[in-house]
Amino acid sequence: MIHIKGAITWAMILVILSMFFLLTLSMGEQWINPFQASGQDAMILWELRLPRLLTAFAVGGLLALAGAWFQVLLSNPLAEPYVLGVAGSASVGAVAALMWMPDTTWVMSVGAFIGAWIGIVCVMFFAHLGTNKMLLAGVVLAAFWSAVLGLLLALLPEQGLFRAFSWMMGDLSYSDLPITLLLGAWGFALLCGFFLSRSLDILLLGERHAEALGIDVNQLRQRLLLLASAVTALAVTAAGTIGFVGLVVPHFMRLLFGSLHYRVLPASAIGGGILLMFADTIARTMIAPAELPVGILTAMIGVPVFLFLLLRRPS
Amino acid sequence: MIPLIKFNNVSIQRGKNTLFSNLNFTVTSGHITVILGANGAGKSSLLLAMAGLIPVLGDIDLMGKPLQLYHPYDRTQLIAWQGELPPTEFGLTVEQRLCLVNDCPKRINHVASDMDITILLSRALAQLSSGELQRVELAALILRDAPIWLLDEPTSHLDLKHQIHFVHTLKKHSTKGRDIILILHDLQQAKVLADFLILIDTQGDVHYGKCEDLFNRQTLTQTFDASLVDQESALMPDYGVTIS
Repeated sequence: MIHIKGAITWAMILVILSMFFLLTLSMGEQWINPFQASGQDAMILWELRLPRLLTAFAVGGLLALAGAWFQVLLSNPLAEPYVLGVAGSASVGAVAALMWMPDTTWVMSVGAFIGAWIGIVCVMFFAHLGTNKMLLAGVVLAAFWSAVLGLLLALLPEQGLFRAFSWMMGDLSYSDLPITLLLGAWGFALLCGFFLSRSLDILLLGERHAEALGIDVNQLRQRLLLLASAVTALAVTAAGTIGFVGLVVPHFMRLLFGSLHYRVLPASAIGGGILLMFADTIARTMIAPAELPVGILTAMIGVPVFLFLLLRRPS
Repeated sequence: MIPLIKFNNVSIQRGKNTLFSNLNFTVTSGHITVILGANGAGKSSLLLAMAGLIPVLGDIDLMGKPLQLYHPYDRTQLIAWQGELPPTEFGLTVEQRLCLVNDCPKRINHVASDMDITILLSRALAQLSSGELQRVELAALILRDAPIWLLDEPTSHLDLKHQIHFVHTLKKHSTKGRDIILILHDLQQAKVLADFLILIDTQGDVHYGKCEDLFNRQTLTQTFDASLVDQESALMPDYGVTIS
């Protein structure tokens, strides 16, 4: 009985995913029916929209997975992928790179990737002090990065400001990373999630209980920190800092599917992907032919949904 | 007198505080041992050390073999530790929490009804009172079926009815051969349960001995640094008035 229910749920998720996929693929400056496209329309569909949709899906899924992991790792339901300052240091890296080589397109991604890893290494120094001190160090580091970012923005020549701004709000149109890398990372992260899901469930009981049940908590925390940070760094490199996907999606999935991670993690990986595909489609159609940074849309969708969840949630 | 847990020159530090130095005593197998002591005397730390959950200086032998030589999995098969109540903010249900102990055992309904939590099984942990949550934790303990129980104030949140029931449960499991070491604050419960006592006084000195040798007004007054009165063979806290 339980298996039938599970199968129906997953079938429904796949149907919803395909529907969203076709819908967002068709939407744009003009509506294109994917089953009848030819000539220039087909080119727009398969060479412009499809790669961008897949990027959005992978980035959204990665962010939601990282969010779910950080929430368990820090035993704090309000944690999200950027809470430890990885996004801040990535932004500093991206803007610094932009100042250095303002005319190169890929330079922000490289800068962001390096910046993200500098941020991760900084946090790692505090990992052995325990969850609370690590969280505190991460939050303080995030404030530091944001100050450095402010400094760089004040010094940035005017023509770079718009690019810096749209990168900081999250923008998929600049993504230089190969789609296969992003989708591969999505699959790998999901696989890691399956292997870790039982340990993560036990970690929900607190570190002492997990230890008493035979989990090597220190090792698990280190792996989780590294994995979640690496995934965040990749997502930030691909699309800048896109807020709220990593915070809201895991909570939404917990409400729908319960707290066990063998359900929460795949549901987040797919749900985050759907949310970002949807938000990005609106971002590129709302004021077409111009585009909005997708981070604006995720926050505008994410904040009301999250506040609604907060009101519904029993304390 | 089979030794269960043997302390060889064990010192325990928490942060920069040295709680115990050079402990030497042996807890014998086949009994209920109750740990008594004042707040901050180090009861919980002593219990965690026995469970192998905090680092210590010196050797603690579990059934003749140093604790740190056990594989973590083997250790958790032998010892079940229950301490503070778990965090509840991630929305696990009672049934899911019990299934984390080992793969959703068939005995779950039996144990749940014994612990009076059957109607709570589908509720989220966050919706329970602390007493109900403690009953869930005790059910998880029983489900683990480990031969040694180390319990940190297992009755602290329970109402009278469930305290009485759990005291009976402990007696029953002890008779069946389980080794039980537990921290208690209630002297009457300690008297009823304990075969042996571990007393920790405010100086960090540990006294191990038979309950009938140590459970007296003079010794316990010294342990707790508190005033006690004898009242018809029971030892009561001295509240200044006689309870008739």
